[in-house]
Formats: sequence, structure tokens, C-alpha cells
Amino acid sequence: MRRLALPLAAGVLLALAGLALVALLRPSTASDAATLAAELRCPDCEGLSVGESPTRSAAEIRRQIDALLADGATADQVRQHFVDRYGEWILLSPRSPLPWLAPIALLALGVAGFWLWLRRAPTPPAPPAPVASGDAASRVADEAEALDA
Amino acid sequence: MLPDLGHVAIVIGLAASVYAALAFAIGARRRDAVVVHSARRAVLVSFVLAGIAATIMVISLLTHDFSVLYVARNNATTTPPFFSVISLWAALEGSILFWTLLAVGWATLVLYRYRGMHPQLMSWVGATLAAINVFLFSVMTWPGNPFTRVTPIATEGPGPNALLQNHPFMGLHPPLLYLGYTGLAIPFAFGIAALITRRTDDAWLSIVRRWTIVPWIFLTAGIVAGAWWSYEVLGWGGYWAWDPVENAALLPWLTATAFIHSSMVAERRGGLRTWSVALVISTFVLTIFGTFLTRSGVVASVHSFTQSAIGPWYLAGILIALGASSALLVARLPDLRDRDTPTAVVSRESAFLFNNVLFLVITAVVILGTLLPLAVGIFGGGTIGVGAPWFNRVNVPLFVALLFLMGVGPALPWGGASLATLRDRFGPPLLVAAVAMLAAWALGMRELAPLATLGMALFSGGIMLDEVLRGTRARMRGRREAAPLAGWRLATRNRRRYGGYAVHAGILVMGIAIAVSATLSSDTSATLAPGESVTVGEYRVTYDRLVVEPLADDPRVIETRAEIRADGVAMATALRDYPNSETPIATPVVRTSLGDDLYVTLMAADPATGSVTLRVFVNPLVVWIWLGGGIVVFGAVFAIWPDRRRVGVARTAAAPAAVEPPRSLAEQESA
Amino acid sequence: MRLLRWLVVPLLVIPIGLLLFSGLGRDPSEIPSPLIGQPVPAFTLTTIDGTSVSSEDLRGRPLVVNFWASWCGPCVEEHAVLLEAQDRYGEAATIVGVLYNDTADGARGFLARYGDGGWATLTDPSGGTAIDFGVTGPPESFFVDATGIVRYKQYGPVTGAVIDAQLAPLMASR
Repeated sequence: MRRLALPLAAGVLLALAGLALVALLRPSTASDAATLAAELRCPDCEGLSVGESPTRSAAEIRRQIDALLADGATADQVRQHFVDRYGEWILLSPRSPLPWLAPIALLALGVAGFWLWLRRAPTPPAPPAPVASGDAASRVADEAEALDA
Repeated sequence: MLPDLGHVAIVIGLAASVYAALAFAIGARRRDAVVVHSARRAVLVSFVLAGIAATIMVISLLTHDFSVLYVARNNATTTPPFFSVISLWAALEGSILFWTLLAVGWATLVLYRYRGMHPQLMSWVGATLAAINVFLFSVMTWPGNPFTRVTPIATEGPGPNALLQNHPFMGLHPPLLYLGYTGLAIPFAFGIAALITRRTDDAWLSIVRRWTIVPWIFLTAGIVAGAWWSYEVLGWGGYWAWDPVENAALLPWLTATAFIHSSMVAERRGGLRTWSVALVISTFVLTIFGTFLTRSGVVASVHSFTQSAIGPWYLAGILIALGASSALLVARLPDLRDRDTPTAVVSRESAFLFNNVLFLVITAVVILGTLLPLAVGIFGGGTIGVGAPWFNRVNVPLFVALLFLMGVGPALPWGGASLATLRDRFGPPLLVAAVAMLAAWALGMRELAPLATLGMALFSGGIMLDEVLRGTRARMRGRREAAPLAGWRLATRNRRRYGGYAVHAGILVMGIAIAVSATLSSDTSATLAPGESVTVGEYRVTYDRLVVEPLADDPRVIETRAEIRADGVAMATALRDYPNSETPIATPVVRTSLGDDLYVTLMAADPATGSVTLRVFVNPLVVWIWLGGGIVVFGAVFAIWPDRRRVGVARTAAAPAAVEPPRSLAEQESA
Repeated sequence: MRLLRWLVVPLLVIPIGLLLFSGLGRDPSEIPSPLIGQPVPAFTLTTIDGTSVSSEDLRGRPLVVNFWASWCGPCVEEHAVLLEAQDRYGEAATIVGVLYNDTADGARGFLARYGDGGWATLTDPSGGTAIDFGVTGPPESFFVDATGIVRYKQYGPVTGAVIDAQLAPLMASR
């Protein structure tokens, strides 16, 4: 049992991590009013969503979202309704794939760099720390200790 | 008269900084201690002059001297003294003056602290810091003169920015943040000096580490205080919106944190010197980048300063710093050959390095999100919307991965680990985490991000707890000490390790609190007549009456206050009308407890009928974000607290013998 | 190979410099409007005097739709510009004001103080019309041609120069 526990738990965690990545790194598909409100920019505030803002415009947009959804509009149609008026700017969660792919590309680049660092050809060990010559070296070491004290 | 003296002080400060920069460089080339000594004096003089200028500005603000443009724009005769004083950093020019004071202060501190040590290295550190001071004093001499006079002299001014005078936290958050920002020039200066003198040895690394952690502590405290301020003041019930100003503070924090970790590998394994230098350089460049973003009007932001002519100056500053330091780095690349040893995939150094990868990816992602709207606007035409939902979705998996490494990294041995060690160390915590996640799922937590955060935090927390317990138990057995004493001695014998654990523990607490508060908070808006009430979660909020009256300490500010009771406790939430603000400023009431916060904002009030619209939030665990921040700061201070015993650690670290993988302290203790 | 390394410096400095430098002259709150070239959003609103005005009624002449509020500072200066424009172009073009987050009482006080040009001032109590126009905050103005197509959006107060530059072609093409 104990022998199985580690690979089992690791497997569960890895699967969850994979799921998380897939679920998180893509444009929203949410369709309920609250989520839509959280993904639309409040037009007359800085950096707040319609869902968070107390302004009248935000209240009106929330009302329009409800009305549009009640009329049977899909989430994408609701987004498009506001994009037609304000442009893509109104969306807090972009529709264009670039902002979603870029982080994955950056991560891949980072992992590749890390792999290269792991697999780098070992260089011949350098002579032990040629920091300064002669008695200067011992002084430097003494100073380092003084600094750390 | 006095304000003119202030500007004179700045101009002389500029002259002193120019002299210091040149004298340090010449003194370093000629190895002339007398010249270097005079340069150090000049930095001290420029610090005194910056102090004089800042004092004069504070006096001008306190005496409401409206002949100074800055005072005329940011003060009123009715402004309370406390807010007059902190108006020093409430707007653009004053904030640069304050920034300069702190930057020159740090430079003076470091140059005097290491007086007489490492003469070559310190001269170039001095030259770099003085060059930065030249930049700051030039900005104040030309485009951003804080002492610009104005005629005719007004008899009254608009007062400070309403948002900034609404909460005493404005007295705490900017100074902390600025102390962090300005302090990060120190590791940069050491980086540049190391490149010039071709010296990236262990003594150098040890100083740079220490002087990165000191400003890092201030930056961390400043970021947490800023989030807290935003929560207490802005009234939308949240604390982090990925606003460019917030990102500006986060970016150097990320790279500085990456450096603190990579420097440990560099210290143990001897390699990664180039990498370390590149990280401290990026950190500094990102601090100017952040200043540029928030002070040039390039991106829209809540608390961006008014647009001004200093934008091009800061841009020039960024490009010079970036160009010069990258050129220097390229030029010295052949001299920075790392001592390399092959590395196992599962080892502490590879965990630390992968942590660096994640920190840098997050940095790049945040820069991308901040600049993408600008880039699309310029080159792509049209617009793009990038906001909090994108930042959260993209960054949460990366932060969760960091939480995982946080537990794994410090528990792995240097060099590599056997499968048995892995099973022994990570098996039980992994099981605990998996069970906890399943339990949370069963209890109704359906969202992936908080589940993953919870799981990783428990996993990492479990590993740390296990490490600490093993060490303590070993001491109790071996030295017959009582548990608390054994724990304390264990921690103080290796402050770096256990201080680091405390920092990690604080981050885990923050991580769980953020995950829970972001997903499990509930809120309702309700329009109430006097006597009516609304129920949110377990709280019942009753509205009593509306009061409209001027503020006692600033009668020009009209407060519309709803007096309410929550579970019998009287409190008030208000909207304040400042004469210089178009829209009223919310003054939410927050009733904090360890479990959750009751947070009530007044959205609208109708004085005619006495009815009000309240927004009531119940935010679970929010207080643990601030407490976690406190633990992080405590841990970092504990880690660098001067301790005689650490000399021994420094010696083993400096000796080449350290290349052989040493065991973790817990192993040593139990052996 | 050695020389190639030096490419790092310009590769870092030039793109960052270009991007940030071109950002310097821009106002990030000016969002290009998707309405340009599109028909003006339909609306039917009540003036502060109680009469109803719809977008259909305004067809046939160049139109300036000005979103403003009595609490908005820059609107005071802009109002003087609009009064002058009404004098000069009032025969050939129509101006309508739409209140943004403001009441009829507030607007009447403002007009009594700064002068009433006689053009219609519409109330938009829900803010729905402002949203249809994609307004982010007053003052914002839309220049619409005689056929009802939006031709230009002005962020912030209109100036005499903007009026001359935008209105003249609309009248010429009529």
C-alpha cells in the first residue's frame, strides 16, 4: 500500500495539474451573467470590471447582459454586442489567441533554456576562485566574514 | 524665499553627484584613496542637500505656501497637517524628490558601511550609484522641478488627490515601496562594479545577496500594504487588479526573488555568476521601467501621475541603463566563465533554477499584458482588451507550480536525490495534499485554481513542517533540549534556512487566503430604507439612518454617511465629496475577523427619502493575506538578522569544498 | 560568434525604445471607436424640456452629438466652443447634447450659468445611449454626416479647430 501511495498521489496531482493548465490557458467560455460581467471592462472606471464597479454605466451594462441572455443570446453574442460599441478594449479577457499562446511559448522557451542548462557540457573546473592575488585573497575572505556577521 | 533655496539645494546636489560619479571613476582608475574619499563625501553632501530640499517642501506644504506650484496644486489651507506632510509623495514632482532622498540615502549608507573594504569594487559601486543620483537630480533640475513658482499666488488650493487623502495608509505604503525600489539600485551598482572589476567572487555574492534582501523586504511590505490600502479605500471589495502601477511594483519583486534563489545555487555550486549579474541588472531596469510606466502617461492606470515632460527623461534613463549594462555584460562574458558541475534533474539546484524559469516567465507575461494594449494600439491598429481575468488565468498555473517548487526545492539535497529519499520526504505530504483536495472537492470547491493552490500549499507546508520537526527532534534527542528551546536553537543556528522557511510559510498562507477569498466570497447589493436590513452569508446588516455633514478635520469635505448595524455592532459606511474630485470617494467599512471580513460600501444615497444602496461583501480569510505578508517580512528579517554564528556558514560556502553536495541540516542533525 | 553577441545590445534597446517612445505621445484613454463608418446608433430620448427627440428626426443635416455633464470640468470650456459653433454653423448643422450621468436639473443650472445655445439637451437616465455610442466619460463628441454615418469621434473637449476640420467636409459633401 505504502509503495503504491507515492506514484498514485503523484499521478493524481500531475493529472490535476495538466487539467488545470488546459482549463486555465484558454479564452473564457463562461456564459452566466456574473462571469460575463466580470470579463467586461467598466467603461468609466480604471481597471475594474462591470461586475465590480458601482457606476451607472456598469449597472446599465449588467442590465443589458441580463436582457440579452434572457432574449436567448449566446455569451459570444453578448460579448460582440459590447465590442461593436467599444471595440475589443471592452473585453478584459481577450478573444485573440495571441495573448493566450504567448505565455505557453514563453514557458516552453524557459523550459528549453533550463534543459540546456541541465545538459550543458561540463567545463573544466576553473582554478579555485581567483578573486585577487596573494594576501589580498585572504583579506577578501576575512572581509566577507566580517560583512556577514 | 525658502522654496528658491530648495531648488538651489537640488542644483548643488546635482553638482555634488556629478563630482562624486567622476571622482569615484577617476579614483578607481588611479587607485587614489584620497579622490575616492572625496567622492564619498560628495555623496554624503548630496544626501544632506536632498534632505534639505525635502524638508523645505514639507515646510511649504505645512505652511500652505501657494507660491510653489506643487503646493498650489496639491494642498489646501484646510488640509490636515498629516496629509500635508505625506503630500510630499502624493503627486509627480514631490514623489521624485522623495524618491531621490531615499535613493541618495541608500547610496550614502552603503558607501559608508563598506568604507575601507574592497576599494576597487566599492569605487565602481560609488560611481554607479552617483550616476543614478545625477539622473534623479537632473530630472528635478529640469523637467520635474518641484519648486517651480507660480504667480499670481492663489489664496486657496484644491487639496491633495482625494483618493490619497482618504486613508492614513498613504503615509505607509509609498515610503515602503519607494524604499524597496530605490534600494534595488544597490545590487545593480554591485553588478556593474563586478563587471568592470571582473570580480564576481563569493564575497561579492554575499554582499549583493544581503543588499537585495534588504530592499526586497521593503518592496514586499510595500506591495502588501498597497494591496491592503486598495482593499480598505477603493471600495470594490478586492485588493489586486493587475493595474499597471501594481504590475510596476511586482516586476522587480519577481526578478529580485529569482535572484535571491539563484544566488544560493551560485554560492553553493560556484556557477551562475553571469546569470546573477543579469538578474540584478534586470531588476534595476524594471524599477525605472515601472516608474516610467506610471509617470509618463503611456498606459492608463488608476493611480498614474499626471502626464508630464519627464517621460522622455525616464525613457532615456531606461535605454542608457539597459544599453550600457548589457554592453558591459557582453564585453565581460569571456571573463565570467562559470565553474560548472553536472547537475541531476532532481536536485536542489535544478529546483531553484526551475524556480528562476517560472519567475522570469511570470515577469515576461506581466510585461506582455501591461504593454500589449500599447503595442496593439501603435502597430496593430484597433484595440485589445487585457485585464484581470487574463492575468489571473495565465499566472495562476505558474504561481501554483512555484508553490510546488517551494516545498520541494529546499527539501531536496544538493547534487541529486535517491528515489528512497523522495518517497520518504514527499510521500506523506503528497498523500495529505491529495486527500485534502478530494475533501475540498467533496465540500463543494469546484474551481480548479483554488483546489490546486490548496493542494500545493498543503503539500509544501507539510514538507516544511516535517523538516522543522525532524530537526527539532534530532536536537531534543542529541542535546536533551526541551522542544521550544530545541526549535529556537535550530532556527537561530541556521537563520537563512529557517528564515527562508518562514518566508515560504507566509507565502503559503497568502496563497491559500488569496485562493479562498477570490473564489468563495459572496456579495449583494440592496437598496434599503431606514430600519430595513439585508442578509449576506451569516451577517445581517441593518440600515439605521443617513447623515450628511462636513468632516470635522477638513470642513470642505462633505461626508454622506450611512449608519448601520451588523449583528448589533454599530458602524458607518460613507461617500465623501472632495472639492477636487468629480465623483464621490467611497469610504467602505471593513469589519475584520480571522474567519471572514464583512465589507460594506455605500453605493448611492438619496437624502430626500433617506434610502441608500449598500453593497455588502463577505470575504473569507482576507485578513490572512496581510498576516501572511507579515510572516514573510518577519521571516526575511529573521534570515538576515546579524548573527555571529553565521560566520561559520559563510566560510563553508566560500570554500571550494562546498562543491561536494552537503546534506541538509536535518540530516546532519540526525546523523 | 564573438561579434554576434554584441547584437544583444541593439536587439534589446531598439525595440523597447521604439515601443515606449511611440507610446509617449499617445493618450491611452483614447480608444479608437468601432462606430466610425457605421450608422449612428438609434435613440429616442427626452429633452430637458420634456419633448421627445429620436435619431431619425436628426437625419438630413450634419450632426454633432455631444455627451456632457454639468459636473464635468472640461465641459465648461467646451460649452463656449459649442456656443460659437452654433452661431457659425447653426443654420447648416445640428448640435445635440446628451447628458452623461447627470440630471435635467443639473443641466438647467449649467445652461443658466454658461449660456443656453438653444440646441436640444437630451436626458439619458439609464445611460443606455451612452453605452450604444461607446462613451467612456464626458466630454465626448460624435460627428455624423447627413446620411447618418458616424465620421469622427472626439475624445475630450472639442475645440474650434476640431469643429472646423470635421464639420466643413460633412457640410461640403451634402
